Amino acid sequence: MAQLQARVKSLGAVLGAERGAIFGNPGSVRRPIAFLIIAFIVAWRVAPSFLTPDNLNALLISSSFLIVLSVGEGFVIMQGMIDLGVESIMSASGMLAAYMYVFKDMPPGLAIFLTLLAGIAIGVAVGLLVTRVHIPSFIVTLATFWGFSGVALLYNQGNSISPSQVTPAKEFTFLGISSYSLGGGISNLIITSVIVVVLAQLVLSYTPVGTWMKSVGSSEAAARSVGLNTAIIKTGAFAVSGLLAALAGVMIAAWQDSIYPTSGQGYSLQAIAAVILGGIPFTGGRGTVAGAAIGAVIIGMINNLIVLLGLPVLWDYIIVAIILVVAGLQARGGPFVK
Amino acid sequence: MTTGDGNTLQEPLLSVCHLRKSFGHVHAVDDVSLDIYPREVVGLIGDNGAGKSTFLSLLTGYYHADSGEFIYKGHRVPMSSPKTSRRNLKIEMIYQDLRLAPDLPVRENLFLGEEPKILGIFLNKRYMQQSAAKVLQRLNVGAKPSDLLNRLSGGEQQAVAIGRALLFDRDIILMDEPTASISVNKVQDVLRMIRDLKEHGKTVILVSHRLEDILEVSDRIVVFFHGRIRAMVKNEGLQISDLVHLMFEAAADPRKEEIAAAGESGSLA
Repeated sequence: MAQLQARVKSLGAVLGAERGAIFGNPGSVRRPIAFLIIAFIVAWRVAPSFLTPDNLNALLISSSFLIVLSVGEGFVIMQGMIDLGVESIMSASGMLAAYMYVFKDMPPGLAIFLTLLAGIAIGVAVGLLVTRVHIPSFIVTLATFWGFSGVALLYNQGNSISPSQVTPAKEFTFLGISSYSLGGGISNLIITSVIVVVLAQLVLSYTPVGTWMKSVGSSEAAARSVGLNTAIIKTGAFAVSGLLAALAGVMIAAWQDSIYPTSGQGYSLQAIAAVILGGIPFTGGRGTVAGAAIGAVIIGMINNLIVLLGLPVLWDYIIVAIILVVAGLQARGGPFVK
Repeated sequence: MTTGDGNTLQEPLLSVCHLRKSFGHVHAVDDVSLDIYPREVVGLIGDNGAGKSTFLSLLTGYYHADSGEFIYKGHRVPMSSPKTSRRNLKIEMIYQDLRLAPDLPVRENLFLGEEPKILGIFLNKRYMQQSAAKVLQRLNVGAKPSDLLNRLSGGEQQAVAIGRALLFDRDIILMDEPTASISVNKVQDVLRMIRDLKEHGKTVILVSHRLEDILEVSDRIVVFFHGRIRAMVKNEGLQISDLVHLMFEAAADPRKEEIAAAGESGSLA
């Protein structure tokens, strides 16, 4: 019996090692890439219309908001914290930008700039409450989740904002963020999300600040003992997630050519799911925001497939739930690996 | 004053003068003065609550002293934070729980907080890799710089903690109970590393409850009692019973004195 157990264990170790070789170790970006490839293959087999340029383009565009949010959420979760409020900041920011542009006749550039600044300010405020007043991030961001969904209602008495509410109508061009570049080829939304992911991953992998963020998640005591200012590092993460949530709000307003106080609804949990799927464990310390972006695309794919296959929306939720559990499992390093 | 290992007169590397630190009514460190010399191993012993760990924290800048002075290489210095004590005073502290980041690679752990940079913003990963490899080799650790820290054994992790001191050429290394929670066969490895550090010209200040380890590596032994230095002895011919005697015997006044080598019987009246 003991011999059998030993055999199973060694087989598991080999499998675990093999898995490490093919799929990368926990936190490596190889894993979400592998998942993405698997998801693509499954999608292609199940829905032939999935792999068409039109559909893929639509997928990347509709995922761009979640990608941007997931990068911000990734920085927060990387440090062992959480930001539940991103969806409300997204809604409120979109409303704010539209309000300034449509009703206050501000130039779009200024409206966007101030909105992004507001996002950063909210993030800094959250960071201060977490690091100086010592309220857990879960609670502070639960408060912003509720609070800013309320703030979103302030701009037009609970109604949406759209171009035709003033004359002459003010189309939400917003500096062309939702128009197309390269001769009409690629949506600027896609380009924006790619730039965000690349910059963020560069910082995380190639700068000391990125290492510091990972260290705070891995062992805050270690970070403090070498003299790092963990309060600033943590606040920085919230500033980034606030900024990116505001950006996502502007992006979705531009895309829809209108903005609702509920435009961001549901995005917080999807962003968190994308981050976990992408390889950042809940306690942080390792992983990539590129992985989080891939996680966002996978979640977008599920929704896309549900629509293509004409399935009831219920399946969207169930499949995301299953994938989330699988993501959580593999984030530990698997049952056989120590 | 001579150095701990009996060499000729030298200037102290770091002089701590009349240090005091209280937490409310508790005088954790109560008028402590100590000269620390290059190339010696100083063992700090004392019962729980005697002030040893607080004293170490004051040396690293983790706590601010209520009063007292630090004189480093002849100059008065304000000890303000772990960062300044590491850089300016070349002090490295190795905690009992090591305080390393388990999810990061060895090389990131070694350089944490003091990463070498290219163009001021980007990590110089190649330099990190090479320097880390050299330090690991010097410490006889089989791990690679890119290995995640939590893949290393406890003893190897401890070596990485010590590696930081070597990497940045710190002069004074503080160790808080380094052998308390490692396996028996690893203890000798740690003691060997302490002796190596001294060979390389470092000073090691070692806090430990394991009196046998203190006796094995220390040049001199400082006894803390209720926040004060009660005795400072050269480690010549001492036995565990002598140390116990010094740590616990009730005295009329806590006093700081230099006791010459007691010799064979070990009785210190």
